[in-house]
Amino acid sequence: MPFLAENHIVFICKGMHGCTSHILPSAFSLQSIYMKLNLNDMARCLDLPVSTVDRWIRQGRIPIHRSGNDCIFKESILEKWAFNHGLRFSLPNEERKKEQKFGLTNLLPAMQLGGVFHDIKGDDVESVLKSAVDKVPVPAINKQGLYERLLEREALTSTGIGKGVAIPHPRTPLPEETDNSLITTCFLEKPIDFEAVDDRAVFVMFILLSTSIKNHLHLLSRLAFCVRDDSFVEFLRTYPDTSSLLSKIADSENLLDKADHN
Amino acid sequence: MRILRRWRHPASWSIFRLDDRLLLILIAVIVGTCSGLAAVALNRSLIAMFEWLHHFRHYWWSFIMPAIGAALSALFLDKMVKEGAGHAVPEVIYSVSRYGGLMRFRSSFSRLISSCLTIGSGGSAGPEAPVVMSGAAIGSNIAKLFSLNDRQRVTIVGCGAAGAISSIFNAPIAGMVFSIEVILGEWKAVNIVPIAIASVAGTEISRILQGNQIAFSHRLFHIGHLDIVACIGLAIISAVASVLLTRLLRSMHGVSKKAPFPIWVRAAAGGCAVGIIGIFLPIVLGEGYHPLRTMIEGAYTQGLGIVTLAVFAKILATSLTLGWGGSGGIFAPCLVIGSLAGLTYHRGLLLLWPSVPWVNEGCFALLGMAGLISGMLHAPLTGIFLIIEITGGYEVILPLIIVSVISTTLCHYIEPVSFYLKELVEKGQLLRPGTDARVLSDLSVQELLEKDCIIVKQNMLLRDFINIIKKSHRNYFPVEDEKTGRFLGMIHLDDIRSYLFNPLMYDAVVLGQIMDTDVKVVYLDDDLSEVLRKMDVNRLFSMPVIANRKFLGMISKATLLDKYRNELMVQTDL
Amino acid sequence: MNAQLFHIFRNTPLGRETLLQSIYFCKKVGASLIIYIPEFTKFLMYFENDVVQIDLDNSYLTSPETALKHAKELLDQGKIKARFLEPKNFTASTLPDISTNFDFMCCPRSISDLSSKIGLGYIGPRVRRIVNSARFPVLITSPVFKKWRSIAVFFGGSANAVNALKLGFRISRASEMPLSVYTHMENASRESYEEIIKNENLEEEMDHYVTEWHMFERGKFEENIYDVPHDALVVLGAYGHGLIRNIFFGSKMEKIQSIITNNLLIAGPNYGLGQK
Repeated sequence: MPFLAENHIVFICKGMHGCTSHILPSAFSLQSIYMKLNLNDMARCLDLPVSTVDRWIRQGRIPIHRSGNDCIFKESILEKWAFNHGLRFSLPNEERKKEQKFGLTNLLPAMQLGGVFHDIKGDDVESVLKSAVDKVPVPAINKQGLYERLLEREALTSTGIGKGVAIPHPRTPLPEETDNSLITTCFLEKPIDFEAVDDRAVFVMFILLSTSIKNHLHLLSRLAFCVRDDSFVEFLRTYPDTSSLLSKIADSENLLDKADHN
Repeated sequence: MRILRRWRHPASWSIFRLDDRLLLILIAVIVGTCSGLAAVALNRSLIAMFEWLHHFRHYWWSFIMPAIGAALSALFLDKMVKEGAGHAVPEVIYSVSRYGGLMRFRSSFSRLISSCLTIGSGGSAGPEAPVVMSGAAIGSNIAKLFSLNDRQRVTIVGCGAAGAISSIFNAPIAGMVFSIEVILGEWKAVNIVPIAIASVAGTEISRILQGNQIAFSHRLFHIGHLDIVACIGLAIISAVASVLLTRLLRSMHGVSKKAPFPIWVRAAAGGCAVGIIGIFLPIVLGEGYHPLRTMIEGAYTQGLGIVTLAVFAKILATSLTLGWGGSGGIFAPCLVIGSLAGLTYHRGLLLLWPSVPWVNEGCFALLGMAGLISGMLHAPLTGIFLIIEITGGYEVILPLIIVSVISTTLCHYIEPVSFYLKELVEKGQLLRPGTDARVLSDLSVQELLEKDCIIVKQNMLLRDFINIIKKSHRNYFPVEDEKTGRFLGMIHLDDIRSYLFNPLMYDAVVLGQIMDTDVKVVYLDDDLSEVLRKMDVNRLFSMPVIANRKFLGMISKATLLDKYRNELMVQTDL
Repeated sequence: MNAQLFHIFRNTPLGRETLLQSIYFCKKVGASLIIYIPEFTKFLMYFENDVVQIDLDNSYLTSPETALKHAKELLDQGKIKARFLEPKNFTASTLPDISTNFDFMCCPRSISDLSSKIGLGYIGPRVRRIVNSARFPVLITSPVFKKWRSIAVFFGGSANAVNALKLGFRISRASEMPLSVYTHMENASRESYEEIIKNENLEEEMDHYVTEWHMFERGKFEENIYDVPHDALVVLGAYGHGLIRNIFFGSKMEKIQSIITNNLLIAGPNYGLGQK
């Protein structure tokens, strides 16, 4: 009886918990490799609900063979089948990689990257911006181009958001020039009139350079949250040094994160 | 010990995993043989019963015999085997379309015995439908033994049906075509091969056990051109006869349901009536293969009047037998009625135009048979192939095609659904793969559930709710009771947009005040077509799903479209 | 949990006891109750690989006019709401189809035969087929309603027994009742059973839910069963390691069901498939 022939095939099964080897009796010495997955993992790979995959296996519409709670299939055949039917099939390891790309940068890392600078010289908006742009620590950036873009944005509306804080930024994000979003903090030598919303002179500028609009908005909203707190602005007026500024930012962000996860 | 278990799951053997066609072919051979045997058994027992009862036919009380037979068969079905009432073939089609061909084991033999009782005692019914059901049930149970999945099981059920028909008529192509056309309803390559093999197996069994006889011998017919024109008239007449038979059968069903007698009394009453008709026109009794032979050979000597009367009498007798509780099929009566109709037409033609050299009346009998089968079952191919195979004559093919096709078309106008499918369609239970009804019945609410709604409690302040809105991806927020977790209502962003930007209200409003409590809900086991109807009536695009008074998720038309397309693509592939 | 229990109502005093048991089970476990008051004596249940025809004995159709009222009275008494099932699909005009996507089903020991056959040792053939094919566990009630206050799981080490153990955890979690495990050690040692638990990653649940694991080392199984408390819900698998699976259940299972009078919750071989 053919099915009694023992142990000619060893194949590797990839499951969510690493590799286990499994031996299957077989009549012929097939060179193919069968994979084995748990039903829930299978559903996740196909991006379908468990009951749908279960039903399709029962009805014979999907080329998976089932024994107990395990699904046995051949990867190439299943991929082809999924392609023909407009479905996606990706093995578990691949999915995890995709998730990592889309994180959002928070204030602290952005400010650490961007650096904190004091005594920026200048008498008016243009000169202050020019000095600040020179300090931005991104070698790949075209400084003149950045300066012009910042000016362009100022021309639209002032980026002075009140209480003496300004947030200059280019209108469109810069994914080519920089890999990570950054905020360059510039304390001005003397307060400048920025035509801000509350007509107060601006003493600190946070230059926002983001890789995407999403990142930009995220950083902006966090920054705005910090600035809304008057005590924070008072703290800024003391022209703190880099480490105390960053630790204060870290505290504010912790508060924010706690509020978010309520 | 596991070895024995693996034996029962051949689908998991490595040889078959690559391609299950080989597996299906092997099982088809087994199934074809078994159903062929069942058909032969029925045939033989019918012949035996007929001969045994033949002695009693000349007694005056012989009209009771069909009554007794029908009553016994009804009792057997109801009490001993506990099957439901109903025709055999629609049940097979129902199970194939809805449950992947799962049938009960008792169906393999129950209809064989009961139809043997009905027909053997003189009832006007055919042995084919019971044999189809037995064959299908045998196939289904063998498939169950081997733990096949739905798609494979459906193919095997088709094999069983094909084997049965092939065996009983000694006509393999007709068996194949019938099974694919009527039972399965789809012509797919993966089905055709096993079914063909099963037909061959069934026919072979029949030939081994009963000899290779063609059911009805034929003579050479010389078809002239005028005959072909005359066929059109015959097609019309057979269409009329089909419609008449269908309508009468259904009305008999309706009448008998209202009668307050127990089942076997009703069956007996029907049988009695048939017996009485049989005294005057013995041609209406039994399945009628014998008179059929006579008619095809052109040896039927009754005049035009009697023949016309016989047509109506046979229609009436069949309706009485089947409509009042007897068990059997309509195949054979269709053949008899068809040939009688053909004879009538022929005699009529002779009367009107005696000088024209019409072809022998046997030919018209054949054509009538084809016309009736095609008309009743809406299966022209089955009709054509059956007639060719049981008479072995290919020369009638031209008029045969004309009659079959025209008859089907005419019947289709008057009765849009064939006889077998009529009950199913009326109840909305015919689910051919790839149809809207099928897709909706396969998908379930569970599969469409979207669980990404954030649930809120009814005592939450608006201020806290704003934070939740920040995080959510949807416009709907279900509200739960704090203590019991019961679903209370829904908050839709549209309704509260105006309050969101009014900071004075943030601490003044609790969610319980702004939620909508009059919400239409869906339950997990609701029918999707019902859900869609609710959505259309209430102009909603998504609705909450509740189970045990707790909120589970949302169901929306957008996801439905997505899953519907997936399902349709998966259902209609090779 | 949003589980559903399917119950076929018999409008007789015996049926009343069964319904009371179902109501109690649902309340404890948090399941919702679905009641079918049969109109015909037969119905079909289509499972994945089998279709079972249930032929109810005639007592199920006793006085249909009062059936609904009686059922509702019992529901009100138990302060629980239930849905009444109306079959929508019919295989034949007198043969409704009942769906099988429930999470539990309640049966007396025999549903096709006369009420006299409710004694110990007998489980009707239909019930056996349902246990074999269903994905849900079957609750076989004792003839008289009794509230269960603890859960007793019989663990024999087979795959089916592991399923039963998982079921026991699930019930214990939902009802917050204490759980004890009983094992009759045949030829294996204590360690081998613990090994099985470890392989299935159930150690944590064992510690969390199980109050005591009774291992019977000596004595006959039939005598040791006496240790199971009279007011426990007994959870067990239908099969063990044996060969013959169709006609009989596992040998231990047969013994258990013929000796004790507690309510039995039996997990068939298909239990646990396709579940999260």
